[in-house]
Amino acid sequence: MKNHRFVAMTLIAAAVLAGCSSMPANNSVLDQARNDYSNAQANPQVTSLAASELKQASDSLDKANHAWSKDGNSPLVDHLAYVAKQQVAIAQATASQKAAELAVANASAERDRVRLDARTREADSAQRSAEYSQRQSEASQRSAEASQRQSEASQRSAQASQLQSEASQRSAEASQRQAVTERQAANDAQLNAQASRQQTQDAESRARQLEAQLKEMEAKKTDRGMVITLGDVLFDTNQAKLKSGGMHNVQKLADFFKQYPQRKVLIEGFTDSTGSNSRNQELSDQRASSVRTALLDMGISPERVKSRGYGESYPVAGNDTAAGRQLNRRVEIIVSDDSGNITPR
Amino acid sequence: MNKFFSYQWYRAVGVVGCAAVVIAGCASVPPPTEQMAVSKSAIANAVSAGGSEYASVEMRMAQDKMERANRAMDKEDYENARWLAEEAQADARLAEKKAHSAKAQKAASVMQDDIRVLREEINRKSK
Repeated sequence: MKNHRFVAMTLIAAAVLAGCSSMPANNSVLDQARNDYSNAQANPQVTSLAASELKQASDSLDKANHAWSKDGNSPLVDHLAYVAKQQVAIAQATASQKAAELAVANASAERDRVRLDARTREADSAQRSAEYSQRQSEASQRSAEASQRQSEASQRSAQASQLQSEASQRSAEASQRQAVTERQAANDAQLNAQASRQQTQDAESRARQLEAQLKEMEAKKTDRGMVITLGDVLFDTNQAKLKSGGMHNVQKLADFFKQYPQRKVLIEGFTDSTGSNSRNQELSDQRASSVRTALLDMGISPERVKSRGYGESYPVAGNDTAAGRQLNRRVEIIVSDDSGNITPR
Repeated sequence: MNKFFSYQWYRAVGVVGCAAVVIAGCASVPPPTEQMAVSKSAIANAVSAGGSEYASVEMRMAQDKMERANRAMDKEDYENARWLAEEAQADARLAEKKAHSAKAQKAASVMQDDIRVLREEINRKSK
């Protein structure tokens, strides 16, 4: 009786509810919600990561189940089941979100680890590079030291070169000195040459002097050389002895021959045609000889002086006048050239 | 005594239940203002989380149900409005969670890519 009343009232309520709601009754929603929920519960990711969301879904599903078990299919059951189903989905989405976030966190950690790895490798690489650089630097240093040694060797070589150069310099200086010496020698030679020239000039001047002196003695240039004629005024008539004025002329001759020792002299005597030939020959011989003797007395070497008389031969003027005869009475003194030659008459 | 109590209890429940059902059925249910606000907020959160992009189906469902809930409210069909609002909230939360999940997975995938690229770079460098 009471049970009947309860059922009746429930039915009335259901009828009222059904009347007021436009929602169609659908059992399958609850089934799907239950199915989804059991799947979610079987998923350890959901149970561990979305426990509270799954609990909400569970509560909602309980309500739906309760409503369903109470009223059977009803819009409320559909509604509760739908909410439960969506909450299961929410739990699953939450789980996947958290899993992804965990993955991000893990990935971040992994990335950090990889970066650390990379840095470690970079550091290792840098260290290797540094070691390499150091080795290279050491090599460079060794090379530099080698260069220095080489440079020192070069320096030594340079010093050697310098020494050599100094030696060369000394040699050059010696050469220079030699050159100076040679120049001096050349100068000397030049001086000598000048002296020679001077001597030549002297000789020439002497020659000119000689000519002048000979000219002073009234010497004449002839084919046979210079000829000095001593007139008869130097002798007394028919005498062979020189007068004092003649001695004066002979003195000049002696001075001349002393000055030119390479010259020789030939003294020739002549007379006019007055008197006998023999007497004239004798007188010309004597007069020539007299002059020769005077020269010898004055210090002239006898082999340089020759004398000869020619008598009345080789007159230079006519014997028919007194002036001509005076010219023919003479002593000719022929002076040789420098080598002592006299062309004979 | 026990029998009497049991009878009294059933009677009371029956009367109250009948009354509640009558009240509910006859639009004497109070308007689910709070639930409406909570659901609206849930939808807004879902939108800002990118629900439209990452969970367009759920998002559309939530918005559709919210619209229907609003219409039910207008009709003073408060119970229906509550249920629709509750379902809209569930849909919106699902959309939000799916969006978050998708973003997180995207981030994880990007991160994995980063790591892969980084590893490749390192391998290339160390060679």
